[in-house]
Amino acid sequence: MARAFAQFGLLSERQFNRLVLAFMSLGFLALIAAGVTTGALMLRSQQHTEWVKHSYEVERRINLIRLHLERMETSRRGFLIRPNNDFRLVFARGARALGPDIDMLEALTADNPRQRAHIAKLRTQTEQMIVAAKASVALVDQGKRSEALERFDSDGSVDQVRAIRRITERMMAAEGQLLRQRDAEQRQSVRTFFAALGVLAVLLVVVGISSLVVIRRYTAELSASRSELRALNESLEDAVEERTADLKRANDEIQRFAYIVSHDLRSPLVNVLGFTAELDAALKPLDALITRTEEAAPEIVDEEARAAVREDVPEAIGFIRSSTQKMDRLINAILKLSREGRRTIAPEPLDMTALAQGVADTLQHRVAEIGAEIRVAPLPGIVSDRLAIEQILSNLVENAVKYLKPGRPGRIEIRGMRTSQRAIFEVQDNGRGIDPKDHDRIFDLFRRSGVQDQPGEGIGLAHVRALTHRLGGTIDCSSALDQGAIFRLSFPLSYSEAQKATS
Amino acid sequence: MTKEQPVTIVMIEDDEGHARLIEKNIRRAGISNRIHHFADGTSALEYLYHDPNGPTHGGPALVLLDLNLPDMSGTDILGRIKSEGALKRTPVVVLTTTDDKVEIQRCYDLGCNVYITKPVNYESFAEAIRQLGLFLSVIQLPEVEGE
Repeated sequence: MARAFAQFGLLSERQFNRLVLAFMSLGFLALIAAGVTTGALMLRSQQHTEWVKHSYEVERRINLIRLHLERMETSRRGFLIRPNNDFRLVFARGARALGPDIDMLEALTADNPRQRAHIAKLRTQTEQMIVAAKASVALVDQGKRSEALERFDSDGSVDQVRAIRRITERMMAAEGQLLRQRDAEQRQSVRTFFAALGVLAVLLVVVGISSLVVIRRYTAELSASRSELRALNESLEDAVEERTADLKRANDEIQRFAYIVSHDLRSPLVNVLGFTAELDAALKPLDALITRTEEAAPEIVDEEARAAVREDVPEAIGFIRSSTQKMDRLINAILKLSREGRRTIAPEPLDMTALAQGVADTLQHRVAEIGAEIRVAPLPGIVSDRLAIEQILSNLVENAVKYLKPGRPGRIEIRGMRTSQRAIFEVQDNGRGIDPKDHDRIFDLFRRSGVQDQPGEGIGLAHVRALTHRLGGTIDCSSALDQGAIFRLSFPLSYSEAQKATS
Repeated sequence: MTKEQPVTIVMIEDDEGHARLIEKNIRRAGISNRIHHFADGTSALEYLYHDPNGPTHGGPALVLLDLNLPDMSGTDILGRIKSEGALKRTPVVVLTTTDDKVEIQRCYDLGCNVYITKPVNYESFAEAIRQLGLFLSVIQLPEVEGE
């Protein structure tokens, strides 16, 4: 249903959900209302039953009164015919019972003015009758039986009895009518109750089914979205893997590119250098020829030819050669970097103090020559690639030696410390320092800083940084002009491929 | 190198300049054997296998091979020479700029006799070629088997 709505674009998902919620609430409200109504109807039906019962009670009472009356009357007559103690007892009991019976009936019919009117008449008639009856019984007791019989015919007892019968009959009729009416009412209320119960049941079924449908729908949606989530999660992992593979491929491509380019660049360079050498070699016989010609026939040699052979061409060759040699060095640097990138890292436990001492020792000769000193403090050991670490340290120390301040005794110190996860190494010198604005630049390929009075192509630090990153490390520099420099290296205590990937 | 059958040097090198420099320096080393130069693989193979004066039908030869050729890889030529027919004992000297470890291993696996990386520095280059010339002047070559 939701899908149908969504398909037709009539309602958005949220609107539909709101509608469902509204309908459900309405259903539950109707359910509550039906429940309350049914309860009320049941109470009413119970009341009706009470009333019906009441009417029966009234009828019973009336019948009881009639019974007592008839009994009393019969016993009186019996007593008149044959005075006997049994008749007297029955008469006395009937006469005694009548009063309370009528009182009770009056109490029962307190709500009905018509019956009360009847009761009032009944009471008078009954009282008169009892008085008359008692009088006739008393006469019999005195032995005046004939007088009593005479009185019986004349005192109108028979009419009285008839009147009482009529009254009670009327009362019965009235109560019977009431009973029929109440019975009809009760039946009606029972019918209404069942109807309400039916409505309640239907509502219950409808609300129940719709709740079930909604719950099923939500459950289905929930499980669908959960499986979708799982699928997404899986595809995310795949995507990450794919990206990583892409990156690796791109990286490999760049490495290959650098390698191939530098190789193909070298090829023409061989020619340039080679034929420059050939040119240089060819110049010698020419030079000799000019010398000989100058001796033999000086007038043939003009100034221009001499200058060309002895100055212009050698100068041009010199520039070509120095430029191509420089280009060769640069290409070699790129080659070296790309080759470093391709080299497999072989981590092993390294005694860094010994390694640094070894680096210092290889430079000892030059250091002693310029009157400088290298001190190696005890260093924390790490697990990493020996060749790369050696290369990094020796480049840094070589730089420190190379850029010492003339006239100040050189002091170079290698020290280190260990933090929880990493080892920090520092190479400090008291040399000429590096301008802070160049601190980033010096790590770029072919970039240098300060006075260009030392040979070099701006490769060393670029190489150091590439190697450091390769080992999962970082490098930074703090220095100011004339203040010496500190190069700070930070390596993981133990090299792993994973660290390399995140670095 | 017998006098009756002078060894032909077959140089397969796509860079004309390199070819010229190699030839000059071989000559400077005192080697006067004929040098046949081919700038691509197809014509070189044609000469090696089908030319009446070529090594298959003519006298013994030595191959100087560059790996970077325009029409095919030098390793294909090397593989062909070393795997089949009359030329399988013909010495092949790979002379190329590539110093990739994998490539070097591959060439020796295919049966190359010597692998030399061209030095970029001209003096080294000239020196290497002259030494190669000296080397060529002393090595003994097998007879080519006639078909």
